[in-house]
Amino acid sequence: MPKISSLSSARRLPFVLALGLATAVTAPMTPGLISAAHAQSNAGDAAFVQSLAQRMIAVVNGPGSAAEKKAQIQPLLDQDVDVDAIARFCLGRFWRTATPEQQAQYTALFHQVLTNSIDDKLGEYRGVGITVGQATQQDGKTYVATVISRPNQPTANVQWVISHATGQPRIVDVVAEGVSLSLTQRSDYASFLAHNGNDVGRLIAALKRQVSRE
Amino acid sequence: MQQIQHPRSQKARTAAGRAGLAALLALGAAGCATKPTDPAALAEYNQRNDPLEPTNRVIYRVSKTVDAYTLKPVAQAYVWAVPLPARTGVSNVLSNISSPAVFFNDVFEAKPRRAGDTFMRFLINSTVGVAGVFDVAADWGYPKHSANGGMTLAAWGLPSGPYLFLPLIGPSSPRAATGFAMDVGFSPLTYVPRGYGLITLNWALYGVGIVSTRASVLNDLDQIQKTALDPYATIRSLYRQHTNAEIEAMRNDHRATVPDWYSH
Repeated sequence: MPKISSLSSARRLPFVLALGLATAVTAPMTPGLISAAHAQSNAGDAAFVQSLAQRMIAVVNGPGSAAEKKAQIQPLLDQDVDVDAIARFCLGRFWRTATPEQQAQYTALFHQVLTNSIDDKLGEYRGVGITVGQATQQDGKTYVATVISRPNQPTANVQWVISHATGQPRIVDVVAEGVSLSLTQRSDYASFLAHNGNDVGRLIAALKRQVSRE
Repeated sequence: MQQIQHPRSQKARTAAGRAGLAALLALGAAGCATKPTDPAALAEYNQRNDPLEPTNRVIYRVSKTVDAYTLKPVAQAYVWAVPLPARTGVSNVLSNISSPAVFFNDVFEAKPRRAGDTFMRFLINSTVGVAGVFDVAADWGYPKHSANGGMTLAAWGLPSGPYLFLPLIGPSSPRAATGFAMDVGFSPLTYVPRGYGLITLNWALYGVGIVSTRASVLNDLDQIQKTALDPYATIRSLYRQHTNAEIEAMRNDHRATVPDWYSH
């Protein structure tokens, strides 16, 4: 035990030095650079949300049957929502313990679950309007604040979380009135797994049942 | 006849009592979740912060069953019979009546602008808003916000404590439950004198409040039951996130006490 601690403190010194050096060298030039880059990506991400919201609203408020609307929404989800990343996040630590086949099966099911839950709500959002507000950076992601209004309903504050991990802006989470949809989903799965022997196979079976019920 | 029945009923009563006691003991024994040893599972357990989970789940299941036969049909009937604008009016009246408690909590949270908002809301909505039916104040620049005893205790630095699912109240925590008791104390209606029909009014308001609140979450709760693999855990997560967001919004409300029009 003492051996480890002395080792780590001996190692820590060069690390701290290196860190100090790195910040001393880069500090004079970084603030301007970082804020300029942030401002650019913030504005870009806000515009991205604005454009996606407009396309979604056009479908929701537009003419057409529920099935037609479903078909119109699908490409938007595929293109602008990083469903794979959300699926990975929702499985939490069990993503690593799952076999590649389980990962593939689970991801495919997750796509269906998400699509179904969005399709279910399309009807409720008739007459929806959206105002895009400020974008802020947090943990390398952009949080774009919006206010969603529906006829005869109180307005809702909704944040869209944008990640550039895939090289282009994509939605990785939606935070409605402080409630993160992916975090809620993750705790649902975590609790299910905790009560089902941490068996990803059983989660997949349950998701299959859920999808077939729809 | 009576003599024969008497000992038997007493016997039945003791048997029932014994069964009840046994059930209570079983509940107590099963009442605590076992702490996992695996580090990842332990981290999850700590994050869940629900050491009484088995007991909470029993109360959740009972509440759900009782709700399905009592409150839910009443709330459904209310939604069926009363049109949305009227329901919004009822909910506005109830929220206006709770303004004094919200005001006291704003003050104890040391948020003067929020207290000012609540004061103006009560003044405007009680008069122009016709006894609180219309939320005129929201359109006049005094938006509604949440404040309750639980948030006040959070502002004072009290941690929430473990998750609790309480009968009648639902998702809660020691902090929220204490705050709930404080809110009863902050409500002027708690102190109405007896004998003026006010007690009845108080209980009626309480009843309407429960039905109105239940009606407002009818669809959401149905949706959770339909889509969640573990509705109990989903409700726990939603409750926690919502409570934390309310507290964060309160903490981040740094508006100056002097209003804009004064400083210009």
